[in-house]
Amino acid sequence: MGAAALVLAFLAFALFYPLGRVLVLGVGEGFGRALANPYYWERYLFSLEYGLGSALLTLALALPLAFLFRWRFPGRAGFLALSTLPFVLPTPVVALGFLALVGPRGLLGLDLYGTRAVLYWAALFYNLGLALRILLPVALALERPLEAARVLGASPFRAFLRVGLPLLLPALASAGLLVFLYAFSAFGVPLLLGGPRYATLEVEIYTLLAYRLAFPEASALMLLQVATLAGVALLYLRLQGAALPPPVPPRPLPRGRGWALALGMGVFFLGVYAPLLALALRLEPLALASAWASEDFTPLPLALANTLRFSLGALGLALLLGVAYALAARGRLWVDLLGLLPLMVSPVAVGLGYLVAYPGLRGSLLLLLAAYALLAYPLLARALLPALRGLPPSLLQAARVLGASPFRAFLRVELPLLLPALSSGTALALAALLGEFGASLVLWRPEWTTLALAIYERLGRPGEGPFREAVALALVLALLSAGLFYLLDRGRGRFG
Amino acid sequence: MRKVLAALAFLTLGLAQELVVLTHSSFSLDKALIARFQEETGIRLRFLKGGDAGETLNKAILSKGAPIADVLYGFDNTFLSRALEADILLPYVSPEIRNLRSELLLDPSFRAIPVDYGFVSLNYDRAYFRGKALPQRPEDLARPEYARLLVVENPATSSPGLAFLMATVARFGEDGYLDFWARLRDGGVRVAKGWSEAYYTHFTLHGGDRPLVVSYTTSPAAEVYYSEGKYKEPPSGNLFPELAFFQVEFVGILKGTKNLEAARRFVDWLLSRPVQENIPTEMWVYPARRDARLPEVFRFTPPPAGAVRLDPARMAANRERWIEEWTRVVLQGQDPEAVRAGRR
Repeated sequence: MGAAALVLAFLAFALFYPLGRVLVLGVGEGFGRALANPYYWERYLFSLEYGLGSALLTLALALPLAFLFRWRFPGRAGFLALSTLPFVLPTPVVALGFLALVGPRGLLGLDLYGTRAVLYWAALFYNLGLALRILLPVALALERPLEAARVLGASPFRAFLRVGLPLLLPALASAGLLVFLYAFSAFGVPLLLGGPRYATLEVEIYTLLAYRLAFPEASALMLLQVATLAGVALLYLRLQGAALPPPVPPRPLPRGRGWALALGMGVFFLGVYAPLLALALRLEPLALASAWASEDFTPLPLALANTLRFSLGALGLALLLGVAYALAARGRLWVDLLGLLPLMVSPVAVGLGYLVAYPGLRGSLLLLLAAYALLAYPLLARALLPALRGLPPSLLQAARVLGASPFRAFLRVELPLLLPALSSGTALALAALLGEFGASLVLWRPEWTTLALAIYERLGRPGEGPFREAVALALVLALLSAGLFYLLDRGRGRFG
Repeated sequence: MRKVLAALAFLTLGLAQELVVLTHSSFSLDKALIARFQEETGIRLRFLKGGDAGETLNKAILSKGAPIADVLYGFDNTFLSRALEADILLPYVSPEIRNLRSELLLDPSFRAIPVDYGFVSLNYDRAYFRGKALPQRPEDLARPEYARLLVVENPATSSPGLAFLMATVARFGEDGYLDFWARLRDGGVRVAKGWSEAYYTHFTLHGGDRPLVVSYTTSPAAEVYYSEGKYKEPPSGNLFPELAFFQVEFVGILKGTKNLEAARRFVDWLLSRPVQENIPTEMWVYPARRDARLPEVFRFTPPPAGAVRLDPARMAANRERWIEEWTRVVLQGQDPEAVRAGRR
């Protein structure tokens, strides 16, 4: 019970109260004004379109890919690992990769800044790996049922339609909903790549706040967003995966065809992930030096120190909360649902809520750390919960019967068994913290500038020099995120 | 122990002597002048650039109570009311105020102290228009052959953009300005996020494809000054003095500062003659001091006659609505008639 109380107390401070204040403000003054304006509806519609379009595009490409990955071919594991890499890359890094490739100063000489095309490409870049991870196990599990249908005389097409598709649908829906959730509330990518025409609701909330200081309208839009996200998240939670036969291991292809598949896959992946390559190609060592000693912008050492300081500090808090939450949610569904709430509130909204609710704490790091921890602990807990639920209860009972206190039993019996899941969850949370952008931007103070914000700061200025420095910083941040992630996760690659 | 205490005292003393000045991104002063101020006063200056003038002001407002700086420089008359209403500034009657041009003293409470003024104005690229007809009247800009040559700044994110929008309101009236902008939009006007993007990315003079840009009356002189002898005459010129917008930039001491004395000395210094005479060639605006001499290069930029001077009260009352209506018409493509119908 103590664990649940801890999580509740934190949520009351870091989520419910600020959100409540925003609710009052938004409903009281902003709602009528915002809803009467067709412009905001168009922002909302565009967010919906972007969410839906991204989900469909990602599924359309991930589904055939998942079936191709049923085969064993050269480089298969490498491609899979590559597809999960964007998941731990902060949005300013990814956005900068796109600018380096197809921005006004891009390598390709083709300027896609401020177009739908670049936003959808970025959505695919981010979510392809996620969809693949959900669909691939199902595709592998379908092998036997499909074979059975074929043996019974169905054509391949008919077998897929009548047997494969119904079994695939729950996985397709859950992958689609997740991609929708991410794209609908996307911030960094549309802010940096979309221009004024393709702003999502989240970008509009930030713009209203940063440029016009319009708290009521921003609050009203935030409510619209939270309501939509909550609806979709509930839908996601209600999805029940069909009981599937055990997956079969990938089967080998004949040599020639294996290489052909690897080649095709290579070209496709090169296309999707080219922005990462462009980022690396645009690095100039001199820019790294000038970013290090910059006088016009936050210098690299300060930004790096802040990033590490805040991420690690918040990680401690998130670990405590994540473990407490997972323990409390193990048996109680309502706690489980409650702890998911932070996933439905966007980082920008959290920052906005804190500015409204705690004006007296504006200079205090407490707010920033609370925001960081709030956004990170659900990720940690999501990874921990399945492992916790999978522990045989008899183990704990045995320890208790043998005289161990509950705490001691947890420490000595359960914790060692949970360590792999815990370190995976920690890796995921840390990757999210290192690149945190939205909440940091809203709560910005000069002495709090992190790497992600230092990149943004430089992008706001024209000219080749600041852009080069931004590229250098983005690479530092990318290496930091990916490096720490793989160090903690040690390539296990367990996501959510 | 005593050594530690002494070190601590020295450290806090050192910290107390640092004055943080929050400015917009275009802030610039001669490094030697700054160094001399630091030497003479023992106050170390740290300049913090907060983005566009409006954005910078908002950052000061959002950190009210726990200010991120001691002094705020660069908010202008279009945003004056927001700064005053947010109640983030302390009044300070500097002894230098009597040396300033009286028409710049727009805040009778002396919380916002004028430092400089200038004129936002349309610029054109002379080389591009050689042998081609320039637009004759402001109305001509809305014709497609000119609209597609023009780049403006988004008034929601840029202070020259906002100033130009206000100039069009003054010129075409509350009803007419939206029609003017709707025609610009249909003609293909480009909207940049801020001044530097418009001027250094889209303006033909700097490699872009738009020979008409919203900038300042002093920009042509700045081109000569920075060209290191390449230009004897300005490569660009001003258009339509009746669309130029009178802009005053202010400095103010932020409430909650722990360095009040140092902040006052900084304000006095900013208004002193050497700094005021340095301002024109650093920030390309006119000094607020009556007795400050202008640099030679400013002969290329006489202040425009008949520039738009809006009443601060009118700007305060309508600013947000103008920005919103502009956004609806230009960025969102709504019909001006429908937008006007939405007013009450």
